[in-house]
Amino acid sequence: MSKDIKVSTSHKGDIAVISIQGDVTAVTGEVIGNAYGSNDILNSPKILLQFDKDCYINSGGLASLIDIASEGRKKQQKIHAYGLSDHFQKIFHMVGLTRCIPIFTSEEAAMKDF
Amino acid sequence: MEQLLELHLPNILGAEKEAIKKAVIIAEKLGFARDRIEDLKTALAEACINAIEHGNKFDQNKKVRVTLAANNKSLEVIVHDEGEGIDPKKIPTKRVRDDGFPCRRGYGVFLMSNLMNEFYFEKNPGKGNNVKMLMHLNG
Ligand SMILES: Nc1ncnc2c1ncn2[C@@H]1O[C@H](COP(=O)(O)OP(=O)(O)OP(=O)(O)O)[C@@H](O)[C@H]1O
Ligand SMILES: [Mg+2]
Repeated sequence: MSKDIKVSTSHKGDIAVISIQGDVTAVTGEVIGNAYGSNDILNSPKILLQFDKDCYINSGGLASLIDIASEGRKKQQKIHAYGLSDHFQKIFHMVGLTRCIPIFTSEEAAMKDF
Repeated sequence: MEQLLELHLPNILGAEKEAIKKAVIIAEKLGFARDRIEDLKTALAEACINAIEHGNKFDQNKKVRVTLAANNKSLEVIVHDEGEGIDPKKIPTKRVRDDGFPCRRGYGVFLMSNLMNEFYFEKNPGKGNNVKMLMHLNG
């Protein structure tokens, strides 16, 4: 089954960037997990999750993101996020995900605050 | 209540998106604000996912039925599965672990009951499970 997600990785200085477009669900979580698990990302102390404002995120996707946050905590990584729609910013707050993945309103803010 | 939609979804994760698309069109016609429609999308998604996963236990011979109805006060969403119903004892009461880290799972019911104005579930032995949610037109 094709996965309705596009994930790419890049670096901005010492920050590893994971860009996510599409569906963040239990089905696509593996794709994000694999991107996060690639060597250059996994060993980076700073990770920026760049979401698309049209992302569809459900509870299965939240579980995948919590897995990444949990791994990141073990590795003492800092993980920031930006680009989420107002709705998913609210959802991240409601479920307490912002405690481990703080969200920012712009890329600049997310990068500056590491 | 006037029935506006009846959908029979295949019991596969992702099928909820079909219901969401149709529900958005109806909610827009009823005049719900953008942010309320986003809340509805998430609540409907979580109800369908639970029906697929916990109710129908990923059995592809089973279906999820979604019905939408409305009157001048609210939009009613009913998501039906062929399972045994929700055991209230299995609904997590906490979403944070003792170390302050968020739990991995247990957000669906929390989101539905907080994003919608009313949230109910009822099991009908032998007839499956219904999750019923209402969103009021006046907020
Ligand atoms: N349609 C259903 N039929 C049977 N049991 C259900 C149904 N929906 C929910 N439940 C029960 O209620 C529990 C809580 O559901 P909830 O959606 O809050 O969490 P979850 O599905 O376990 O995790 P998450 O939604 O975060 O992926 C489930 O674990 C399940 O035991
Ligand atoms: Mg659920």
